[in-house]
Amino acid sequence: MRLEARDLCAGYDAVPVLHGISLAVESGEIVAIVGRNGVGKTTLVKALMGVLPATGGQVLLDGVDVTRRPPSHRVRAGLRATYQERALFRELTVGDNLRLGGFAPSVHHQVLDKFPDSLSGRGTQRAGTLSGGEQKMLAAACAIVSAAPLILMDEPSEGLQPSNVDLLGRHIASAREHGSGVLLIEQHLALAERLADRFVVLEKGEVVEEGHAGDDHIHDRIAKRLVI
Amino acid sequence: MSRTTDTTWRRRLNALTLELLNGLSLFATLAIVALGLGITFGLMGVINLAHGEFIMVGAYVAFVVHEAGWSHWVSVPLAAGVLFVLGAVIEVILIRRIYRKPELTILATFGLSIVLRQLAELVFSKDFQSVPNPVPGATEALGVLFPTYRYILVAVALGTVVVTLLGFTRSKFGLVVRAIVADRDLAESAGIRTGVTNVLAFGLGAASAGVAGALVAPLGAVEPNLGLSYLPSAFLVVIVGGFSRLWGVLVGALVVAVVQTTLIHYYDAVWALIASLVLAVVMLQMRRSSVAGATA
Repeated sequence: MRLEARDLCAGYDAVPVLHGISLAVESGEIVAIVGRNGVGKTTLVKALMGVLPATGGQVLLDGVDVTRRPPSHRVRAGLRATYQERALFRELTVGDNLRLGGFAPSVHHQVLDKFPDSLSGRGTQRAGTLSGGEQKMLAAACAIVSAAPLILMDEPSEGLQPSNVDLLGRHIASAREHGSGVLLIEQHLALAERLADRFVVLEKGEVVEEGHAGDDHIHDRIAKRLVI
Repeated sequence: MSRTTDTTWRRRLNALTLELLNGLSLFATLAIVALGLGITFGLMGVINLAHGEFIMVGAYVAFVVHEAGWSHWVSVPLAAGVLFVLGAVIEVILIRRIYRKPELTILATFGLSIVLRQLAELVFSKDFQSVPNPVPGATEALGVLFPTYRYILVAVALGTVVVTLLGFTRSKFGLVVRAIVADRDLAESAGIRTGVTNVLAFGLGAASAGVAGALVAPLGAVEPNLGLSYLPSAFLVVIVGGFSRLWGVLVGALVVAVVQTTLIHYYDAVWALIASLVLAVVMLQMRRSSVAGATA
């Protein structure tokens, strides 16, 4: 499966944030989107998912224009997303969140046991009462276990303790091995550099740098962009 | 002497039994009347001021069924069906444009209530119509005669309420509705078809109002303003029972029924109404405090 943005523009009310972004991600690869705060990374995920309507350009799934299709259509087509701020339905229980994620009760343990700080036995706990890190782990685990062809992950490592960041990295790499494509929005540069096959650097809602993991001095070029 | 005491006790016991049966009947009526509002207002957050008119339309369905010479019991599922379709259409053309906009919702549903009343006037005139009691007579229980239809109303109303509540709280559909209310964008991102779900949920809320209308039709006159008398009670029940849990409809109906029955018995209907309103204000205040405490 291939997700493609062509000259994608989006924003909030009268404030444009994305100014003609073009990029693509395919099943079986990890594309890291990096950039400083406020450059439009989260907005990009929302626009690709259709939660935020595009004000220009196109979103294509396997060449089919889905720009005007609702998020639910994109999910059914094979897209899955985890968000930075609202990872779970906080008012619902952990078990309810898993049911909504499409997991039958018999496989809930597969998701809950994905991280060592196991959430097993907490199916009836309200998701909003989990710590921020636990909510992030659960959302990431849901996305990874779903084995969706394409997963958009917005800052999945934020709020996680270092050992769980490493484990998260291994799970994301494992998802790629199993054929999922991952668009990884990540501030944790070391994690992004360890995982990504390709990099896209954003600045002020535009793509300013692209490269492959094997390109000469790619990490220096990215670091330079982020420091300036 | 002992014979006089015996008679007095029996009289008191009969009076108490009658009050309990009246209370049970009121509880069931309040629960079925408030059920739809519990779904649309409590669960979906839509302040539906046309809920009373949905009940009125249900009552007119019962009237039409009677005029056609059919059994009254046909009108209960028929009213549910008619109101489901009406509710679904209203959700599509009106409600879905004003979710999370309470001021617009109040104005729009108030306007809708006027339109529905005027339409009822145009079709049926302002005249009071009547739907005869399908089960006339009384049944004796615990030494007290009580209208048979009221027993049936209690059974059908509470049965409908419990089945609906179980459907909304135990099924995947109910979970999906709660997810949409909790976070619409996240629900969309989870692959939930929020548009279709909202149509179904609003339609089911309207359908339960239709059932309520068909059930209460034989209890009084069927006329365009019938819904106005039920709307405050429905809001009262939902406020007292709480917005966040649909089972609150049963709790709210029980509390309001106990308060009203007791005060009507010892004082009068005016004091019962005043007490109910005070109760609603206190519950609103307590809920606001608990929400503020939870978010502090």
